[in-house]
Amino acid sequence: MRVHRHEGNEGHHGIDLAPMLDFVLNLLIFFIIITSFVKQTGVKVLKPDAETAEHRDDGNILIAIRPNGDIWMDRRKVVLPEVRAMVERMHAERPEDTVVITADKTSETGVMTKVMDQVRAGGILTVSVATRGQGD
Amino acid sequence: MRMARHSAVDEDEDEDHGIDLAPMLDFVLNLLIFFIITAIFVKEVGLTLSSPPPNNQAKQNNDDSSTMYIAVHANGDISIDQRLIDKAAVRANVERFHGEKPEGPVIVVANTKSPSGIVVGVMDQVRLGGVMNVSVAPTDCGGTR
Repeated sequence: MRVHRHEGNEGHHGIDLAPMLDFVLNLLIFFIIITSFVKQTGVKVLKPDAETAEHRDDGNILIAIRPNGDIWMDRRKVVLPEVRAMVERMHAERPEDTVVITADKTSETGVMTKVMDQVRAGGILTVSVATRGQGD
Repeated sequence: MRMARHSAVDEDEDEDHGIDLAPMLDFVLNLLIFFIITAIFVKEVGLTLSSPPPNNQAKQNNDDSSTMYIAVHANGDISIDQRLIDKAAVRANVERFHGEKPEGPVIVVANTKSPSGIVVGVMDQVRLGGVMNVSVAPTDCGGTR
């Protein structure tokens, strides 16, 4: 009887989980917020090479242009006039975001410049084109 | 007597501990792992695209020579001053231009049918040549100049 009581007491006073729980919850909130920031395009394209490429930390809105001229945004295919409305909406949500166009190497320049004009019309003036720089 | 005292102690200890946090902790950890896996850390590297200033047409008439034009044709050929050149020669040409006119901008006049990879490559070469003020102007015609 005496032995049993002694063991029981020790078992109850294990490690204090509260700080770890706080930490894990913070991590959780961090990752939930991070996931909603970047607007992925949903397609993979072959990016052109460049040596003078720069990192853009605020380039969270991605627009992909496939070799056949299809435009992908926010995980679905869009037509050119839609780009402006979507950019306007995203710009209203997070005004500090900028646009990165991931155009395939072989896609036509005309599509790229048209998309760029649409983005400008949508209110985001900083547009860059994604490359495969030294960073990758 | 002993038994009674023991059960009293047990009860006290139960009250101290309150709700069992273990299932909630398991759930939160699962959520955490889910979000870590789905989190995407894409940070694209890229070149900033700019279009030529709108008053370019007026400028062109005044001091034509202060701007360098590089044409990219529909088939991906590159030419400067109607002279067909190799992609590797772009940098040397730009360096020479930059030496003569350090403030002069470079405009890549790209045919709308030209592959964007070539245009981006030319922009990269221009930047390597020292001119950061580079813009892309689309054109439907053959891209003379």
